[in-house]
Amino acid sequence: MIPLAGSLRLPLLAALGALFVWLLESLLDPYALSVAMFVGINIILAVSLNITNGFTGLFSLGHPGFMAVGGYVTALLTMLPARKGLMLPDLPSWLAGLHWGFLPALLAGGLCAVLVAVVVGFPVLRLRGHYLAVATLGFIIIVQTLLINLVGLTRGARGLNGLSPLTGPWWVYGWVVVTIYTCWTIKHASLGRAMLAIRENEMAAHCLGVNVTRVRLLAFVLGAFFAGIAGGLWAHLVTLVTPTSFSIVMSFMLVAMVVIGGSGSITGAVIAAAALPLASEAVRPIEEGLGLYGLSQVLVALGVLLILIYRPQGLFGTSEPRFLESRPAALAHPREKPDTLTEKGGIR
Amino acid sequence: MRIPFLGTLAAGLVASTFALGVQAAEPIKIVALYNLTGGMSSLDQPSLNGAKLQAKMINDAGGLLGGRMIEVVPIDTKTDQKETATAAKRAVGMEDVTAGIGYSDTTFVLAAAPLFQDAGIPFVTSGATSPLLPEMVGDMLFLVPFGDNIQAYAMAEYVYNTMGIHDVVVWTDNGMDYTTGLSKYFQERFEKLGGNIVLNDVFLTGDRDFSAQVARLQANQDKAGAVFVAAGPDEAGIIVKQIREAGIDMPILGGDGFDTPLVGSVPGEDLANDVYFTTHAYADLESEAIKTFQQGYKEAYGTDPENAFAALGYDAVGLLADAIKRAGSTDHEKLRDALASTDGYEGVTGTISYENGSRVPLKTVAVMKVENGDFSLVTTMTPSAE
Amino acid sequence: MSSYIATQIVNGIILGSMYALVAIGFSMIYGIVRLINFAHGDIVMIGAFATLAFGALLGLPFPLVVVLVVLAGAVVGLLVERLAFRPMRGAPQVTGFIASLAVSILIENLGLMTVTAQPRNFLVPDYLQHIVHLGGLTLRVVDLAIVAVSILLMALLVLFVRYTKLGIAMRATAENLDVARLMGIRINRTIALAFAIGSGLAAAGGMMWGSKYGQIDPLMGFVPGLKSFVAAVIGGVGSVPGAVLGGYLLGLGEVLFVGLLPPEYSGFRNAFVFGTLILILLVLPNGLLGRSEEERA
Repeated sequence: MIPLAGSLRLPLLAALGALFVWLLESLLDPYALSVAMFVGINIILAVSLNITNGFTGLFSLGHPGFMAVGGYVTALLTMLPARKGLMLPDLPSWLAGLHWGFLPALLAGGLCAVLVAVVVGFPVLRLRGHYLAVATLGFIIIVQTLLINLVGLTRGARGLNGLSPLTGPWWVYGWVVVTIYTCWTIKHASLGRAMLAIRENEMAAHCLGVNVTRVRLLAFVLGAFFAGIAGGLWAHLVTLVTPTSFSIVMSFMLVAMVVIGGSGSITGAVIAAAALPLASEAVRPIEEGLGLYGLSQVLVALGVLLILIYRPQGLFGTSEPRFLESRPAALAHPREKPDTLTEKGGIR
Repeated sequence: MRIPFLGTLAAGLVASTFALGVQAAEPIKIVALYNLTGGMSSLDQPSLNGAKLQAKMINDAGGLLGGRMIEVVPIDTKTDQKETATAAKRAVGMEDVTAGIGYSDTTFVLAAAPLFQDAGIPFVTSGATSPLLPEMVGDMLFLVPFGDNIQAYAMAEYVYNTMGIHDVVVWTDNGMDYTTGLSKYFQERFEKLGGNIVLNDVFLTGDRDFSAQVARLQANQDKAGAVFVAAGPDEAGIIVKQIREAGIDMPILGGDGFDTPLVGSVPGEDLANDVYFTTHAYADLESEAIKTFQQGYKEAYGTDPENAFAALGYDAVGLLADAIKRAGSTDHEKLRDALASTDGYEGVTGTISYENGSRVPLKTVAVMKVENGDFSLVTTMTPSAE
Repeated sequence: MSSYIATQIVNGIILGSMYALVAIGFSMIYGIVRLINFAHGDIVMIGAFATLAFGALLGLPFPLVVVLVVLAGAVVGLLVERLAFRPMRGAPQVTGFIASLAVSILIENLGLMTVTAQPRNFLVPDYLQHIVHLGGLTLRVVDLAIVAVSILLMALLVLFVRYTKLGIAMRATAENLDVARLMGIRINRTIALAFAIGSGLAAAGGMMWGSKYGQIDPLMGFVPGLKSFVAAVIGGVGSVPGAVLGGYLLGLGEVLFVGLLPPEYSGFRNAFVFGTLILILLVLPNGLLGRSEEERA
């Protein structure tokens, strides 16, 4: 029995969500609404990265790479053929003629990200810990380099601009709901258990019959799908994509959100994904009042450090707040990660 | 203390900082969108400094429209496109915004300006140089600098006709809109004139080690008479240094990205030789206007203008002030019409006129030469866009 | 054509020396506390600015500047360890990683706020700029100095880690922290020492970076930081000789890739670097000289 998906709670939460978006739309000025939409996209990214990094314990930094795939694919599909002819004369004709609606284009973007994730993940997921981190970092850079150099498809450094501003609060928060619902379901289903088991002790999970390779790949691919969707939403909110739109810095911020929220905690990821950009906007007036640009980044970084020092397991650890979960805490909360200092290192 | 809504908080603080100054008339608000932190900040920060200097000078002289002060409201967009999109929404939503200025790179203008266009507020870009920008954004967008095509054509003509060099190597920074455009236009005109591109080499913004490209240039030294380097200000000085250190003495050519003292100081006076670049027409380096700007900048910020973007930011506010004066109001439509009919505004980066409905000024291009680390004006030219 | 290739190889070695010097610190810190320290690259920046401050502003003699710069790097490294990393020791690896990113953002933006984003011209004494002809190759004294000083520093470090009491304590701590503590090794002091040495070397790297390229800015640490991270991983994180090997391979690989392939491929430089990296890791998942977790346990 999955608590959140209980028969009554689901429609109730959906209604609450709809009310929330309606309130956002009617109460906020365009600036605040824009901040709210980027917060929503952050939530999609952080919650989906949580499947990969939080549940399964893979140390992936590759999310922006998948966003780039999703963003470019979605943009190419929604663009009017006439405009494509103008901007991208070298496009293959089958692609140049396509003009899709936003939803199918987004889904296509997500699926392309999935495809890339399978191709990349299959070899790369054999790597462990920081080695995987470097490999996925490399993946972002390779994607960026390709986007810069495959001019016929991407216009190189100039990027694709003048995209229709299709992304609105309903789109963003609709996908937020889908993402959270999917992750919540997975976390509380056997797949999620398998993921957490791999994170805690891969060998033991393997011995208990978990197909480690398959589950790891699945976690990677699921994360990539939502990253692709988020990339598409992002592109049609900013109305352009360039090779530098989705950077390494962005990937660091996303991993920071997962860690601050607590690796494996969906609630934590949501709160951290909302809190970081909001904190940065909230300290902006101080920065602007003093004319000291860079101060907001310094303050947010200090805040992150303090949280990590006082709550090294993040705000929520792996768990969710009690009121959202109706099962005994002992079952729902796997043991926290062991002290890493017992792991062995070595300098020679 | 309760934390109020973000928007009101921000607006409130900005408003309160300016409420301190006792002003009878309502200020004229110009929002300045710049990347004051992150990778683009070395270009954008000087632009904002220039813009604020111009505003201060106009205000000290009594302001505009019968004593109204210009208020430059900077927003930092952190070299992050989503910050730009958000900031543009914040800017157009502010009360009584007269116009927007900003940016040294086309990509960021494209993330911000369409929102100004939709809101019907004029936007003047101080440093983005793609000649296609107005077409892509709409009738509210104006450029202060010349288009990249013009300066690239000027250099191509200068090299081919005046210097008599018919074979060149081209280096392009493929990571920037500005440099790829510059390189494309240069090659287009140079080949049309009958010139030959010996070699096309590529690097990316942020590269610091050009030793491989330098060695390849060295290997092609006999075939080429010069090297055209499409680079931004952060790479220009380093590239000159590395080419000269390898003992290659062919002329190095560049665009306005080379207009930074770093091109002289990084290689040092022994190596900063035989460098030619196009930049905004300081028709006369000794003119009053330029002296006022340079002295004012030094007084206000304790340093000489860091690169060409400082002067461009200065001119962006100057151009707007000129148009506001002529429009006699801060009404957006009237301001746009006044901007569009700008004819012969004397800025420090040259004379700005928008002709035949174009919103890219047809300005004269200055060709500068660096010798022993010193910059001097060689000539000015106005190539045709055809 | 052979002198062309020789030039490219020498260029690769010079670049590799700088990567190696920075990568060592990365690897040492990782070996002892299992921390991927992304703020390490920013120590490179601090080293470069310290050189400018001591040399150009205070006008101190160059050899003294070198000592002071290394000390400045060590002090910053110690401060960062004491204030940011020691309080969260024992937290999961990824926590430390994120903390190091926060420190990096902190240092970079404090840099932007104090010295502005403008790149600065980096002056070095004239004798470093002299041209040397070495069998058809044109080099500068600074190039030779970079290679010589890097190799000297790296050799000293290897001797230190192998043969001194402190070095042995450091290796013991890296091998097993708890047992080392039981043996009476002062853990905090040993870890602090690793940070001090690693950061001092990174600061020296920053000085070289500045001397070689002649221009510095507050964000300059990102690229050397990232590349030395890659170098350390190629060599096998935790292995000092591995970091050196990784640094030279990366430097050579980058330069030769651009230099030997047709120019159309130059733009793919970074894709090549990271593509190779991924390939190496797939074949040797623990890097060239690294040990696997199982072996260590």
